[in-house]
Amino acid sequence: MRTAVGAVALGSVLLWPGAAKAEEQPDLSSLSIEQLAQIKVTSASKQAEPLSGAPAALYVITSKDIENSGVTSLPEALRLAPNLNVQQIDASQYAIAARGFNGLQAGNKLLVLIDGRSIYTPLADNVLWQLHHPLVEDIQQIEVISGPGGTLYGPNAVNGVVNVTTKDAHDTVGAFLRGTAGPQERTAAARYGFAIGPSGAMRVYANWSDRDGLPDVLTPIDDHTRAVQAGFRSDFGGGADNFTVQGDIFHATDRQLSGDHANAHNLLARWSHALGGSTSFQLQSYYDWYGSDVTLVRQSLSTLDNEAQLNLTSGAHELVAGAGVRRTRDLFVNNLNAFELNPESRTLWIYNAFAQDRVNLTSDLSLIAGVKFERSSFVGWQVLPNLRIAYQPGANALLWAAVSKAVRTPSRIDRELQLPPVLAASTNFDAEKVTAFEAGYRGQPASWLSLSVNLFYNFYTDLRTTEYSPGGILPIQLLNGRRGRTYGVEAWGKAQVTPWWRLSLGATTLHKNFHVVADRVDFLPRNSLGADPHWQVVGSSDMDLSPKLKLTLDARAVGPLDLPPAVPGYVDAGGQLGYYLNDAVELFVAGRNLIHRTHLENGDPAAQLARRSIYAGTRLRF
Amino acid sequence: MRRLSIILCAIAAALLAPAAARAGISDTAVKAAFIPKFARYVSWPSSAPGRTNAQILICVIGDDPFGGMLNQAATGQEADGRPFAVRHLASAAGASDCAIAFVDGARTGEILAALGRQPILTVTEAGSQRGIIHFTIVDGRVRFFIDNAQAQARGLTISSRLLALAIGVNQR
Repeated sequence: MRTAVGAVALGSVLLWPGAAKAEEQPDLSSLSIEQLAQIKVTSASKQAEPLSGAPAALYVITSKDIENSGVTSLPEALRLAPNLNVQQIDASQYAIAARGFNGLQAGNKLLVLIDGRSIYTPLADNVLWQLHHPLVEDIQQIEVISGPGGTLYGPNAVNGVVNVTTKDAHDTVGAFLRGTAGPQERTAAARYGFAIGPSGAMRVYANWSDRDGLPDVLTPIDDHTRAVQAGFRSDFGGGADNFTVQGDIFHATDRQLSGDHANAHNLLARWSHALGGSTSFQLQSYYDWYGSDVTLVRQSLSTLDNEAQLNLTSGAHELVAGAGVRRTRDLFVNNLNAFELNPESRTLWIYNAFAQDRVNLTSDLSLIAGVKFERSSFVGWQVLPNLRIAYQPGANALLWAAVSKAVRTPSRIDRELQLPPVLAASTNFDAEKVTAFEAGYRGQPASWLSLSVNLFYNFYTDLRTTEYSPGGILPIQLLNGRRGRTYGVEAWGKAQVTPWWRLSLGATTLHKNFHVVADRVDFLPRNSLGADPHWQVVGSSDMDLSPKLKLTLDARAVGPLDLPPAVPGYVDAGGQLGYYLNDAVELFVAGRNLIHRTHLENGDPAAQLARRSIYAGTRLRF
Repeated sequence: MRRLSIILCAIAAALLAPAAARAGISDTAVKAAFIPKFARYVSWPSSAPGRTNAQILICVIGDDPFGGMLNQAATGQEADGRPFAVRHLASAAGASDCAIAFVDGARTGEILAALGRQPILTVTEAGSQRGIIHFTIVDGRVRFFIDNAQAQARGLTISSRLLALAIGVNQR
């Protein structure tokens, strides 16, 4: 490995003059506008996260990063973010977390939005990654914010927010086809985008995948999964008014028993309107539904969400304020064992209102203060404040510090799961709370280098515990009996080593220190604390070997998980070699987990072995 | 592990030579070339700085994706017998002299809103916030949408030659 890096580095030094020459562009100024519109171009990826972004621990995965990596699913794309820990459970399920608490049961502190639609479910407080198959080539960017996002992003953004934005329909005009095939997985995707009416554009897409089951660890589970998602996005307007209407429909047949399946659909509309001056508002509504029948357990959830937001800039103040109401109706019917939700179906409401002001105190110093008030059906009003300070000493550096509070609202499982007389419903289960102290640096010390370093120190209270009855052993109850703290460092950098070679490297550390309050016992700590690596390093190299040939390699090293059962640390790698046959046709070979035939990423009884997967594919654009 | 490094070396050795070959033309360079040329096909209202100033001022507001390319593209060009000047601004404050404003970055929406109805030709790229001219890539070529209603609301007149080249034109 070291030899290879050496050879590449040596090559880059020897070829420097040539590479520099390659940067020279032909004179375009003599061409007419019609000629300019006919020039074939290569789109370069944007380098650094803009300093104008929020003063928070922010990592941005660009559409180019996703395409170069050769990944075909959203969870695999999230491995590109150094501030996320991604644990593959089986062929379609993942557990993903920022700053700890990772696991199928414990992974309830990361909020995930796709185009403003939350995919975090209040039934069990988790993200069912297996129900979301967006066409990864249509993703504009993924913002990964580690740290609380309670004020702006809403409930359950305790340890982080993943904000997936798909491309505006105006940016996906034309046809696109992608197919991949390999011994372990096959995918096929198509998209067609077109201008519609005088100022609109629309795309329709379909995305199909067929993934073989992973090798078993403890339980023989057939996790072979076949999924298809189709959908559309249309954008209209411009100037004062912009409208977006989009929707998806999803179906998967998979899993252990014949007849097991999952369905989902959603429809979203958004209107943004500039009121003139520097005031604008946005209204958004969506409806989302999913239902799944897996191993005799039926669950479904419908969500109706309405939000309004106002942006106002006046003098030194930049104000954003908004309000929202969300209604969910769920159903949970368990025919597998005696655990039940009582009642089986319930309607829950969440109301919120928030305001955040950024005051530019001097030309380089800003203060941001915000607060969100939120009320859910299970717990009363919660106050989620955050205070941030941003210092921008020059055009190339941002220093920031923040203190914020966020909560996880109780899920239906927390409150109403029961198995008389073994497990009693926990009608008083309260929200879990965090107070987070953060500080960071983000900057571009040289034009070819961007760096980011974040420190965090979190205090948690009222974390979930599984405890014996106060008077004896049974019934067991879920209570808020744990508190503690975590701290760590996150750092990453991206370097444009030569015009044709980009490198990125990121690392995180995590220390956890928790205790159960006064002489009580939590006998399932893993269920609420998760099992996390105390360190993780990810890196990638992205080379334009020639105008036609691109090589991207990525590698990750992940420490052992901190709670039993033992899951050892591992090192693995992936990548893509792409060849542009001509402007319309790209051929590629890609692989995930190339170093080991199999490795374990998660200790849950349901977890399977992640394994090597190699595939060849093509992307066509016309 | 060793086998992997041998493969990597072989790939690197075989392929680094062509790396010196001509790189493709970037979309950013073509967008930079387009922007000064737009001025020839747009007329500003008679009192607007875009019409009256001795130089046609192109402003880059927010992020600057061009890194000097726009200055290079504008140098030596003229429209209506006037040369160009390029200025970088962090926000819409001080933009009143701009004839053309390229707006980019996370705060594009706020900046466009702050520019309001000033007679400025706003230009944007990839994203949900669109100015009068919005660049996009179609079939590997730089193309654009034109919001003619928005242009007219600001007193700008866009020539039919430019409108003919747009993918979609929003008429009033």
